[in-house]
Amino acid sequence: MPNRHSLFWKLAILLVGFCLLMIGLSWSWGRHMETQNAYLSDQARITLTDYAAEAERAWKQGGQAGVDAWMADMASKEGTWVNVLGPDLQSLSSTPLTPEQSRKITFLRGIDWPVSRRVIGLPWMRVPFVEHPEQGLLVIELPERLMPGRYRLFWRFMTNGVIPGLFTLLLCIGLYRMLIMPLIQLREQANAWRADQLSGRVASSTTSRQDELGELGRAFDDMAERLQGTVVLQQQLLRDLSHELRTPLSRLRVACEGDADAGQLRERLGREIDCMQRLVEDALQLAWLDTERAPPSKEPIQVQALWDMLAEDACFESTWPSTQLHCALDASCWIQGNLNSVAQALENILRNAIRHSPASGVIRLDGRRQGDHWLLWLEDQGGGVAEAELERIFAPFTRLDGSRPGDGGFGLGLSIARNAIVRQGGRLWAQNTGQGLRLNIQLPAAQP
Amino acid sequence: MNPVAISESTILAIEDDPVLGAHLHEELQRGGFKVTWCKNGRDGLAVARESRFDVVLMDILLPGLNGLDVLAKLRESSSTPVIMMSALGAEADRISGFQRGADDYLPKPFSMAELKVRIEAILRRVALERRRQEAPAQQVGALQFNEQACDVCCGERWAGLTLSEYRLLDTLHRSHEEVLSKAFLYQQVLQRGYARHDRSLDMHVSQIRRKLKAIGYQERELRTVWGKGYVLSAAEVS
Repeated sequence: MPNRHSLFWKLAILLVGFCLLMIGLSWSWGRHMETQNAYLSDQARITLTDYAAEAERAWKQGGQAGVDAWMADMASKEGTWVNVLGPDLQSLSSTPLTPEQSRKITFLRGIDWPVSRRVIGLPWMRVPFVEHPEQGLLVIELPERLMPGRYRLFWRFMTNGVIPGLFTLLLCIGLYRMLIMPLIQLREQANAWRADQLSGRVASSTTSRQDELGELGRAFDDMAERLQGTVVLQQQLLRDLSHELRTPLSRLRVACEGDADAGQLRERLGREIDCMQRLVEDALQLAWLDTERAPPSKEPIQVQALWDMLAEDACFESTWPSTQLHCALDASCWIQGNLNSVAQALENILRNAIRHSPASGVIRLDGRRQGDHWLLWLEDQGGGVAEAELERIFAPFTRLDGSRPGDGGFGLGLSIARNAIVRQGGRLWAQNTGQGLRLNIQLPAAQP
Repeated sequence: MNPVAISESTILAIEDDPVLGAHLHEELQRGGFKVTWCKNGRDGLAVARESRFDVVLMDILLPGLNGLDVLAKLRESSSTPVIMMSALGAEADRISGFQRGADDYLPKPFSMAELKVRIEAILRRVALERRRQEAPAQQVGALQFNEQACDVCCGERWAGLTLSEYRLLDTLHRSHEEVLSKAFLYQQVLQRGYARHDRSLDMHVSQIRRKLKAIGYQERELRTVWGKGYVLSAAEVS
């Protein structure tokens, strides 16, 4: 069932209403026109009354001869049969009525009677004398030019064709404005995107509509929003990436132009290639995490075992003793996630913590169960970051120079970590503990 | 590594890039392999069908016939191990490559050392598969391997290993304190190629260590040999 604001109702009301209006209009107008066309026009009545007066005058003044003369005159004027009858219904002229004519004059129409088009031939009218109606009457076969309904076809065409046509045209314009204008707006919007104007949005007249087209407009705007965000992010990424790539490249160029011996150069080359490769892989990974829509395969992960694995690697990399990496979680902490993503996220967070910790710092992983989730946190003793930067550290290529000890890295680690955690249906955020930074990770819990 | 008969191993390299192809050819030959180098997919497929190779190395983006198509056609008639190489790198390519039956995937750029590790891992796995019938593992020390239960016990305590963990421990145990590369362990234990971000094996190792510790087995330990792989060897006296 379409909802209350659906276009369905608008269309249904409009179309049903329109159909009823059209049927009503053409029915009532048709009736009206039919009756209008059945009666003699005023002009015709006056003409006929005048003829009756003339006949009366001719009878009064000339008697039979006068009537004869007038009839001859009429015959040449109108070309239809005319006669003047006395009260006894006998011709007042010199020629008596033929039996056929006598039969016909038994049914005569008054001039204010309706005239049916269905009569074969022309109707015979009776027009009594004007001054002394009792003395006689004029009988005339109605001349074609005085027949009513000469414009009947025209009117029928108007009422059944032109006027419904005009109304339908109006309806079409209304429907077009209602349905197609928003689509045209959307098309213009899409064309604007082709011209790289991603900031454009659909007009509010469309997006504020309550119906399906309003929904479409809003979805369209939403899409534009996301698209713009992605494009901006990608452009930013590309800019940062090319900037970051230039650094090892320029170092290579310097090394190439300098006069280092082959061994040094080779070593340098290897280092810079490693650096560039890591950068490209990290940046690509960030881009994939952003664009990949397929959900990652998930499995229960024991955080303690994961930590052992990561801590071993981290100790090897950083030459820290394993006692400085402390896990307060016991074997009962299992989370649900994609092993590789979670491992990478936690590894990046751990590396970041080590990088920004003093050499004797202790890093602690702890957590607690919160309903369906585990809230894990990793604390370092690196002094933390300014409150304003707590969110910015998750943006790609962010490096907070000088604020914390340590350097190196491209500022991609935490971005990748956050994307990876978010893709697992979790959350990652930072807070200051006074001593250092605490990164909170919320992930769905799992049963082993 | 066990002495895999590298000198007799034949490799078909299908690579269109002249520089990388020549380098591959030269380096692998220097490493003791018999290398045939084809520069496009169609020739590569024809050569691969004509003669028998131990390993096929193949780029994905090839002129003539796409590497994945070559692989699909090759798989119709042969089960020769195939290592795909590509600069495409993306996760998606890896998956589609594997779905069509590649044994391993090496994203470019890679070092020759890495390539050799991967080739040796596959050759070794194939050699093991050919031998098939292995003697039951000798019992060394207190750790009892139970093939039926797929578990180990120390004294009366069972470790509760999963199947993959058992296979991993068993493989390391049989190799007699020899360091096994991750590439080989992926091939042998998890039956798939190794990728940089894949942490399954490390996770299994971590779990095995935890479980062995839990049953109080301290005679030998599963050690990480950085840059090489893992080994099950006598515990260091600390």
